[in-house]
Amino acid sequence: MFRKILIANRGEIAVRITHTLREMGIAVVAVYSDADRTSLHVRLADEAERLGPAPSAESYLRIDRILEAAQKHGVEAIHPGYGFLSENAEFAAACVAAGLVFIGPSAESIRLLGSKTASRLSAIQSGAPVVPGTEGSVTLEQARTFGRTHGYPVLLKAVAGGGGKGMRRVDRESDLESALRDAASEAERAFRSPEVYVEKWIEQPRHIEIQILGDHHGNMVHLGERECSIQRRHQKVIEESPSPLVALDPQLRHDMGEAAVRAARTAGYYNAGTVEFLVDRDRRFYFLEVNTRLQVEHPITELVTGLDLVRLQVEIAAGARLPFRQQDIAWRGWAIECRIYAEDPANHFLPFPGTITRLARPFGPGIRVDDGIYEGWRVPMEYDPLLAKLVVSAGTRGDAIARMIRALREYDIGGIRTNVGFFRQIFEDQEFRAGHLHTGFIDEFFARQRLVEPPRELAAVAALAAALHNGIPDVEATPDGATSPWVTIGRQELLR
Amino acid sequence: MKLNLAVNGVKQQIQILVPPPGCRFSLGRGPERSADVASPGPGIYSVLLDGRSYDARVERTSGHLIVSVQGHRFEIEVRDPRRWSPNAASRRGGDIETVLAPMPGKVVRVLVAPGDTVEAGQGVMVVEAMKMQNEMKASRSGRVLSVAAKEGATVTAGEVLATIGSPAPIA
Repeated sequence: MFRKILIANRGEIAVRITHTLREMGIAVVAVYSDADRTSLHVRLADEAERLGPAPSAESYLRIDRILEAAQKHGVEAIHPGYGFLSENAEFAAACVAAGLVFIGPSAESIRLLGSKTASRLSAIQSGAPVVPGTEGSVTLEQARTFGRTHGYPVLLKAVAGGGGKGMRRVDRESDLESALRDAASEAERAFRSPEVYVEKWIEQPRHIEIQILGDHHGNMVHLGERECSIQRRHQKVIEESPSPLVALDPQLRHDMGEAAVRAARTAGYYNAGTVEFLVDRDRRFYFLEVNTRLQVEHPITELVTGLDLVRLQVEIAAGARLPFRQQDIAWRGWAIECRIYAEDPANHFLPFPGTITRLARPFGPGIRVDDGIYEGWRVPMEYDPLLAKLVVSAGTRGDAIARMIRALREYDIGGIRTNVGFFRQIFEDQEFRAGHLHTGFIDEFFARQRLVEPPRELAAVAALAAALHNGIPDVEATPDGATSPWVTIGRQELLR
Repeated sequence: MKLNLAVNGVKQQIQILVPPPGCRFSLGRGPERSADVASPGPGIYSVLLDGRSYDARVERTSGHLIVSVQGHRFEIEVRDPRRWSPNAASRRGGDIETVLAPMPGKVVRVLVAPGDTVEAGQGVMVVEAMKMQNEMKASRSGRVLSVAAKEGATVTAGEVLATIGSPAPIA
């Protein structure tokens, strides 16, 4: 087993990996940018090395600096976390070339699965169903033929694209020509390539993904699914395991699991990975892509399987065989995760970095909080706004939802705006509670949402708190032991 | 102490008759009520009212307070007749539009200069935070009177980025 590992990441995931490495008795080397000198992942580490200035391109994306740090501190392996260099084949190859173990799949697997078209071909080879679509860029005539063969609606997508740019839904053939022109020019502007391909439109799809795990000896299992249909602007917000759909249909889990393992095997995959699928309303599933790394939402799988995915990743990278077979995997209970972002739900969910003046995490039965924050820490504006992951588990979905609402009520992050208060409305929504999920859920939720008057007594308490707080000039700046805030109020009373 | 409040946009008056801990207050024309209030930390108010326990958290933002009570969020504007807020006054005052930073971040591009004529909806400045760029737009057409922020500058939420006035003096 390794004695020392460098974590090439920051924030909650660097802290999460540190926790497991420490439990395994492995020394942790943290790396940091100037914006992260006092961040929790640095404070918790055994050793730490500066990478460079705050911008990611000058710090967390600098392969040369990370490898220098690794050599200097004498580490044997590098854990890339997620984001940053985690899906960069060049980085994985550079680690190996430097005599270090990259904790993840091979550079070849990353390269193959990182390309949308290559991974789709590889999936087709493995027998996995894919969304019907053209193999590459289309002319108007080819798009027409596709529409006639597969029926409308169809979806136009930029070949070079991502993030919804250059995407157009087309409902009838008469709209095809202008939609194709718009999509091409949008793709040209966004990606400098006007190439557009056509896919069958899947009505109200669910996003369900399968966690896979393979060793270097040809053994591979799946650890069940995660449903990630609750997304805002293509970003996952709430994830759960099992999926409410799959929970009703164990055969679907079996089939998707098998398809995921076959697709990964075809690409020569090992270590932890995630195969993403779309599932339509008739429970047909379609291969989407493979994430060749640890996933943000991995904790819900850990809670329902009782496994530590980071520990398994490290053991696999060290050459160990999988300690179980597929039939040994059992799922228990229900887990839900909320992604807590530094953003303002009242202002179009704009990011909101700043100093955390108060922090009270929820605790008690069935609660897990993965974060990298503390009271008094300044959330840097240079990185992703993910602050924390609030994860709960319970015996049933209903109990897990009740537990999550309870935990959210206890969660207090002061000084910055967060989306903590936004989640309760979703968990109280009847459609959500019924498990009727799809990727357009949040948009529809906003559309049907009616402003519910909060209980009057709460409004009275809020008014009282506001009035009292108003009497206290800049209370955040008052150090302990200073004049009691009530004295200020009292003084104002005398002035009345 | 009498204060005019706007609670989620609804006007209301509150009168604090006796300060905490044994607080007495009244809302609008409602009856006088008593509440046991303690503040266990900055911005935290533990309120015992009619035998029930409430935990309120208060955040100050530019212009108003955000109060969370048991997962419910209230935006409250406090108007104290004895205080004058220059911020609120200028925003309401006259014909001048103030372009404010909606979030803390970094100014990555300044798209106008003082003296420029702008159309309503035209971009004035681009502020970036956490990998997200946000273009601040002019909500009226007119002439740029001032540009307060420079490229590369760090701004806080509610900070004035630019002001826009009438294209020509009004007779």
